[in-house]
Amino acid sequence: MDKILEILREIDDSVDYEKETELIDGHILDSFGVITLVSELEDEFDISIDAVEMVPANFNSAAAIWEMVKRLQEN
Amino acid sequence: MAYHAALYVFVFLPACLVVYQAAPQKHRWKVLLGISWLFFYLISGKLIVYLIGTTLLTHYTGIWLALLKEKESRAKEHADRAEKREIKKKYQKQSREVLAIGVVLLLAVLVYLKYYNFFIENASIILDWTALPLPLEAKQMVLPIGISFYTLQAIGYMADVYWGKIRAEENIFRTALFLSFFPQIMEGPICRYADTAGQLFEGKSLAYENISDGYVRIFWGLFKKKVVADRLSVPVCAVFEHYGDYHGAVIAVAAVAYTIQLYMEFSGCMDIVLGSGKLFGICLPENFRQPFCAKSAAEFWRRWHISLGTWFKTYIFYPVSMSGIVKRWNQFGKKHAGKYVTQLGVSAMALFPVWLCNGLWHGARWSYIFYGMYYFALILMGIAVKPGRDRILKVCHIREDAVYWRIIQTGKTWVIIFTGELFFRANGLKAGLSMFGSMFDGFDVGQFWDGTMLNLGLSRADLVIVAAGCIAVAVVGHFREQGGTVNGRLGKAPTPVRWFAYYALIFAVLIFGAYGDGYQAVDLIYAGF
Repeated sequence: MDKILEILREIDDSVDYEKETELIDGHILDSFGVITLVSELEDEFDISIDAVEMVPANFNSAAAIWEMVKRLQEN
Repeated sequence: MAYHAALYVFVFLPACLVVYQAAPQKHRWKVLLGISWLFFYLISGKLIVYLIGTTLLTHYTGIWLALLKEKESRAKEHADRAEKREIKKKYQKQSREVLAIGVVLLLAVLVYLKYYNFFIENASIILDWTALPLPLEAKQMVLPIGISFYTLQAIGYMADVYWGKIRAEENIFRTALFLSFFPQIMEGPICRYADTAGQLFEGKSLAYENISDGYVRIFWGLFKKKVVADRLSVPVCAVFEHYGDYHGAVIAVAAVAYTIQLYMEFSGCMDIVLGSGKLFGICLPENFRQPFCAKSAAEFWRRWHISLGTWFKTYIFYPVSMSGIVKRWNQFGKKHAGKYVTQLGVSAMALFPVWLCNGLWHGARWSYIFYGMYYFALILMGIAVKPGRDRILKVCHIREDAVYWRIIQTGKTWVIIFTGELFFRANGLKAGLSMFGSMFDGFDVGQFWDGTMLNLGLSRADLVIVAAGCIAVAVVGHFREQGGTVNGRLGKAPTPVRWFAYYALIFAVLIFGAYGDGYQAVDLIYAGF
């Protein structure tokens, strides 16, 4: 989880990621931010994120991203 | 019978409401399907076969994908982890092939009908240079209305079933209704099954609030179309059809006028479409969100024709960004080219197909391809200069949320939009380039008040009506931007105030609409795409 917060802060350090729950729905992260995030997550956690995962629910908060990462690590 | 026709608003819709309400709730979706097919037949005649063909292909591709998913889960039941991975791989490959068949067949019809003559025209130019004969000839093509919209919707449905985001619909007539719902068949919005299907099949009873909200929205759309857009069509046609006769400020004014015309027309049509859906208690997705408040080209496209942008983002941008080639570049770039160049490369690779398709989707013309590439270049440039720009803003202590900075950014975006629409509306790329060049030829600010603008077909009174219409739309947009709606505010107002506003809107459409001598009935622009 800490690693996810670190990656998110590298993309934009002006957001309080521990509290924010509308990263996508609130247009805080745009498509390019998501692409950068995906690439960093794939490298860091050795997972493969497909286009099917690109739904707001998976990226709206640091916790949601962490849940997705754990799920993909298990598969 | 277009959406802005009196026949549609005053006869067709009320008749549909009566038949819909008279049917038992569980059969109401069937009534909607019957009405939708009747509507399509009335506007397209026998071209309805394309819609039926698309429905059959979409439905059975969905069923095929669902069967493969079922087989996959059965095969995985007693398998260990390694076996499960192999099974998944095997069925993923098969599903991808099935999806590819469905998408290719759908696109083949669209490409053949829409781009065949464009291909022949350009192939013959190339072959002329090589003196080789072209064995193909141009054909008279009839494009079914709405094909560009329902084809994308059908592809979205198949992709969502493939990705497992939705379950395949088992009843073909329900798939048919999702693809052909009459308010959205001509100009969208391009809906996703997960967002609208449930509402379409629910068969909600008619409600006073829905009918009242729906008709207010319909009249608001008619106001934008009949009072502003159709009036602006007069000077726009005068300049764009005879661009050789004009230069300087007149060309700039025509580009602005066309942008306003297109916005009023398309967003007005969307008001009618969303209002029509609302009558039946169905909320279709919004297609516009105050696009002229945008502070960049990228933001403009998140506010303009939203459903098309969302479609491209979901089904082209993300899949391309996640594709093997982009991921390989990402790995290579991080090691050898640095973060900045890598991200720029990823953006370029993912954005290029999006904007090429955006241009081509509008039609088979080089000017549309240019239009797509224009935004591709601008958005990519925006990404390229962002780090430098952010540094300059920091050094100069400029806050991005400062009012003066937002005004500068919005003004810059307006110039980008007006220039883009000049090329979009021009009769071909050559005409667009010529008009763009002649805008700087003898640009005289005095033309704004020396009476030149009154020689373009609109009287002083017309210009006042257009200005008043634009102000009304801007005020409503302002309320929406603040998170409210005018309808919501009116709903809370005392009854006499509310009804005064409703009557004012109706009479504005009837009295100030561009009807009669000097005006021409203008077809819906986006229905032609």
